[in-house]
Amino acid sequence: MDIHEKEVWDGNTAASQAMRQARCDVVAAYPITPSTPIVQNYSQYAADDEIFGGEFVMVESEHAAMSACVGASAAGGRVATATSSQGFALMVEVLYQASGMRLPIVLNVVNRALASPLNIHGDHSDMYLGLLSGWLNLCAFNPQEAYDLNLCAFKIAEDHNVRLPVMVHQDGFLTSHTTEIVHPLNDEVAHNFIGDFKPLKAMLDFSHPVTYGAQTEEEWHFEHKANQNHAIFEAESKIIEVFAEFEKLSGRKYDLIESYKMDDADEVVIAIGSVTGTLQMTVDKLRSSGKKVGLLAIRMLRPFPRNRVAEALQNVKAIAVLDRCAPMGSTGTLYNDIAAILVDSGKTIPMLNYIYGLGGRDATVDMLEVVYNDLSECVAAGKRVKPLMQHINLRGKTLTFF
Amino acid sequence: MGNRDIKNLKEWSLAPEQFEGGHRLCPGCSHGIIVREMMNSTEYDICVAYATGCLEVCSSIYPFTSWNVSTIHIGFENAATAISGVEAMHKALARKKRLFTEDKPARFIAFGGDGATFDIGLQFISGAVERGHHFTYVCLDNEGYMNTGGQRSSATPIGGATTTSPAGTASYGEKNRKKDIIGVMIASGADYAASVSPFHWKDLAKKAQKAFSIEGPTFINAISPCPTEWKFEAHLSMHINELAVECCAFPLFEIERQEGGYGHKLTITYKPKNKIPVREYLAAQGRFKHLFTPKYEYVIDIIQKDIDDQWEYLLKREAAGV
Amino acid sequence: MATPDHLLKDWDGFLSGGVLYSFDTDAKTRDFSATSSYTYAVADWRVKKPVFNPNHCIHCQFCWVYCPDTSIISKDKKFDHVDLEHCKGCGICAEVCPTNPKSLLMFMETVSDEEAIGGWPAKENKNNAGGE
Repeated sequence: MDIHEKEVWDGNTAASQAMRQARCDVVAAYPITPSTPIVQNYSQYAADDEIFGGEFVMVESEHAAMSACVGASAAGGRVATATSSQGFALMVEVLYQASGMRLPIVLNVVNRALASPLNIHGDHSDMYLGLLSGWLNLCAFNPQEAYDLNLCAFKIAEDHNVRLPVMVHQDGFLTSHTTEIVHPLNDEVAHNFIGDFKPLKAMLDFSHPVTYGAQTEEEWHFEHKANQNHAIFEAESKIIEVFAEFEKLSGRKYDLIESYKMDDADEVVIAIGSVTGTLQMTVDKLRSSGKKVGLLAIRMLRPFPRNRVAEALQNVKAIAVLDRCAPMGSTGTLYNDIAAILVDSGKTIPMLNYIYGLGGRDATVDMLEVVYNDLSECVAAGKRVKPLMQHINLRGKTLTFF
Repeated sequence: MGNRDIKNLKEWSLAPEQFEGGHRLCPGCSHGIIVREMMNSTEYDICVAYATGCLEVCSSIYPFTSWNVSTIHIGFENAATAISGVEAMHKALARKKRLFTEDKPARFIAFGGDGATFDIGLQFISGAVERGHHFTYVCLDNEGYMNTGGQRSSATPIGGATTTSPAGTASYGEKNRKKDIIGVMIASGADYAASVSPFHWKDLAKKAQKAFSIEGPTFINAISPCPTEWKFEAHLSMHINELAVECCAFPLFEIERQEGGYGHKLTITYKPKNKIPVREYLAAQGRFKHLFTPKYEYVIDIIQKDIDDQWEYLLKREAAGV
Repeated sequence: MATPDHLLKDWDGFLSGGVLYSFDTDAKTRDFSATSSYTYAVADWRVKKPVFNPNHCIHCQFCWVYCPDTSIISKDKKFDHVDLEHCKGCGICAEVCPTNPKSLLMFMETVSDEEAIGGWPAKENKNNAGGE
């Protein structure tokens, strides 16, 4: 396929092109808004003989999509798929099974709200649902990143010292359906970056029959899960390595965390996803009036980049963590991950939690400015003087907790 | 390479086993017999997917596997989908010339219990069949969720007592008829579907080979008498199997596509010389013992009528060539 | 079902993904690995064992085909022996044996094969025969 140096792609197109260029051997997929275009694009590529001889299986549910991917991956080849929200929820069972069997599958998650009530727009409910499933999680904030991180994901997942499935997240509609200028690599260069699939423990190697998915009794299960958890933490070094290789090739640098104007920041907001773009604008606006504010975005969500985050927050005076998912009875998941780091470092600074953007709800620069102002007030008072949990852009009387 | 040439049992006994002992299936479990017969029917390279259930749990308790072929277990409902993925990968790798061994035809088999097949996995098998993957799905039908202690499934026959359809003062056990799984598979697009019995090894081997030789989705439902939950002594598994077929509670037939036309045709592959009353079959199993009380005896008549009606229907279909 | 001590590995001592190989070398050599259930004995499940009497066997292979545990070993189209490591004593083989008297009968584990064969039942009058 003729790929130009500059394309105008939305996040879905970017992800599907990366999947195509990776030359997947099997893609088993099911459509669901807002990731449907990925499946549709891939169908068109297949119909136009642009998938380099791979198989495309249109299964009958998302659970079947991941189940077929697991079978295909264990069989011994390159596998990927995409889904969102309800479909992601439906396949959660298989996510655990895939990672437990250490299969290098790449999953594009176009993040969307979880019913009920039903909503097709972007939020991180599905992202958070899968955090314990044993997958590596990378977060893309715009179409370029969706493209780049997909290419990296295959390389990371398939490394014989990693062999873990990888999710690439992007915000539903906000990233997936928003076109931007993307600088892709051409088919040859993209595939060479990833390289050929190197099989390991392949079922289709008939001369070395192998059993996948055995049952572990009490004397084994703990060791298996500890082994897997260890592998996930160890994968961090491979992710760094692959990002470095990618930078050499493309000139685009990816890090486990993306720091924006953090060097001397007193008040910091931590977030994931497309809102980080709006936050950058907010930071710029406040900086222009002399405020020392910064933004910390999480790129590698699992394994959680604990050390890097701790380092980045060393001299910070107040933190706000944005969670794009209703935490249903506790503080937000990202908030909790950050709080754990601070507790361990013995650092007691005000840390606020903001629930925002559910079901595609907008968060504007003005609204995010309020967050930074809240932090300033806490810094001035020398302690938390704002509610622990607040909402951004919630209609009705103010709702806060603690 | 292909289907094994089985002239007789003596010839067949030369087959190298693909399913080893040392598994933890109950003594007398018919699953072991069915799996051996299916796998021994063919000389093709095989990959197997199997569903959570007695077979999976007993043949792959870490760190042991009873399989001499590559197998994958994902979950309860998705054996058919797992093997779809393996089959798709085989197609892709063959096309890309990246197979690991010589490019010879391989066979993809999924095993699942009736729980996995009739109930929780119905969507998955129907989907795999509809997509036309070249695989054979073998249902090990012991008429209930036996691995977890004998709960009912939609394969549990009328009057069968299970832990979730128990016999009691106000119930005679299972009230619903056994789901016509072969009908579902044919309607979903299977090229071939058949019922088999491990006791009738020749019929089973023939059907297995037919299924393997068809380049498309095929389905086999195998009756698997369960000593533990059907409640009979372990050594009687094949005897119970024989009774089931001789009274036509589990008729042996096959359905294949019409040659050069739309639809399918049914052939009964075993007709008992003297059809025995279902009472004999029911009396041999503890799960039906409550039917031999004055309060529930009438249910035996219902069961007998159902069996007779079904047998009539099968004969009619066969005669009509549809 | 506890794993034998010598097979219990540490959290970093086994193949990742919990995969199990059946053979040490490959499928052709059929050299069963330590993780094939072939190496796992279930003999202690038995209460009764099948005893083979060669005097009556016609090598029909019914016992071979109907054994759920791959424990009737045939060689060159003939019954060879019972794999006593894997036999669970279910009794199907004895039940399906068609000879008269049967060539396989179940005896308590405690009875020796010699004793069993020594006390083998005589041919039954068909009219009085029970079983199948």
